Amino acid sequence: MTNANEHQGRVAVITGGSGGIGGAIAARLTAEGAVVHVLDVNPGAGDTRFHAVDVGDEASVNQVIDAIGAAHGAIDYLVCCAGIYRPQPFLELTLDVWRQTLQINLTGMFLSCRAALKYMTPHRFGRIVLFSSMAARTGGKNIAHYAASKGGILGLARALAVETAADNIRVNTISPVITDTAMPRAVVSDEYMQSRKQHIPLGRIGKVPDMVEACLFLLSDDSSYIVGQDLRVNGGSTLW
Amino acid sequence: MVAASNSPVTVITGGGSGIGQATALRLARNGDRVCICDLNADAVNATAERISADGGSVFTGVVDVRDQAQVSAWIARVIEKYGQIDCLFSNAGVNARALVADMTLAQWSLLIDTHVTGTFNFCQAVLRHMVPRQAGAIVITSSDFAIVGVANAANYCAAKTALYSLTKSLALEFAPHIRVNAIGPGPIDTPLLRANRTQAEFETARRTFEGRLPIKRLGQPEEVAAVVDFLLSDRAAFITGQLLQPNGGQVMW
Repeated sequence: MTNANEHQGRVAVITGGSGGIGGAIAARLTAEGAVVHVLDVNPGAGDTRFHAVDVGDEASVNQVIDAIGAAHGAIDYLVCCAGIYRPQPFLELTLDVWRQTLQINLTGMFLSCRAALKYMTPHRFGRIVLFSSMAARTGGKNIAHYAASKGGILGLARALAVETAADNIRVNTISPVITDTAMPRAVVSDEYMQSRKQHIPLGRIGKVPDMVEACLFLLSDDSSYIVGQDLRVNGGSTLW
Repeated sequence: MVAASNSPVTVITGGGSGIGQATALRLARNGDRVCICDLNADAVNATAERISADGGSVFTGVVDVRDQAQVSAWIARVIEKYGQIDCLFSNAGVNARALVADMTLAQWSLLIDTHVTGTFNFCQAVLRHMVPRQAGAIVITSSDFAIVGVANAANYCAAKTALYSLTKSLALEFAPHIRVNAIGPGPIDTPLLRANRTQAEFETARRTFEGRLPIKRLGQPEEVAAVVDFLLSDRAAFITGQLLQPNGGQVMW
């Protein structure tokens, strides 16, 4: 049986915490009694503590996370959801879009992890969940930059997991398959989203609660021996 | 906690010790109607007594998972008693270490038959009752050694890799209503890890594991039970065909 009160009072930082998945994780952790700080470029719907931050900007990430760490004395959870998805055919892919995607999706996670670890390591407690994507393994048309950024997250997470596990800091990733949120809907049609069901054995695309449950599991003591792993929440679309 | 008449019926093989026992205890506390079998009657009875003392619901059997007739007969008794099976944790395992050059056919077959054929037997018997209800979840105990090879364990590695492959095929065959996942535990402090090792040999092995594990400690059976609980539950409703590794960071891929 899971421990009903284990998130009570935990200090959580969620990047991309105004988005579909991040916002739902923020709401769930808030409901479970955690002290939730959201870092995003846009404010979200909830009543969480919001900080306007571009996660690709070193100075603002450090400043905001230092302020959170100083205010609470510790940061217990870091959940990195911030990312952009701007498909472009490879031969039309501009260096600007390539750099921007890598900067936000991958470097943003490096910067967030580095800043938050300062407030985890001294307490010998930390839980970090980074959102990668099945695209890291499968690739896909028009998403070379996105797939590269998401693949980089897997490498970052494994290396960080090895560095921090002995300090009771657990780093893991979640790789969703296409999930029903505003991010894909901004760039692909509903028809396309629904057509993806055919390639998913469980017969549907991902839903936000699927990702929330996976994230809560990786933050909780139920996953106390899970370190450096990628939890693929994909309906069976890819079996490795 | 008293199990309700609508609570999940969960079958666990290898429930007499280690990971199987810890999972049985945890799921019984959740309120599942737990059905545990083991080759060792004393062990399975000891687990059952702990569940009963805890107020949980338990049904037992002494079953050799390699024997299809025994498996079918026991599953028939479970169905007779409860009318349904909601979850299966196929976990029974043994070990027999040897270099390939010295490995007897008996050592090879013991592992392949127990792990692989035993899981086949249980999955087939249980799935026959899950399919008509269009519901069910299965977790199979594979291992980190499904991914990496190690010396002195070709039989174990082959068996555990086969179980991961079986998991993936079952996930595809029985989607969308039934989910099948595998766990890949790292070194867990169980009777199996201690089997065929003297206390001194075990302590040496423990130090070796702890030295190379990122988390710097062996895992406990309860830490694996929590992962099985997650995968069998609706919290993992969109997860199938995957290998989830509570392994202290031993293997990352």
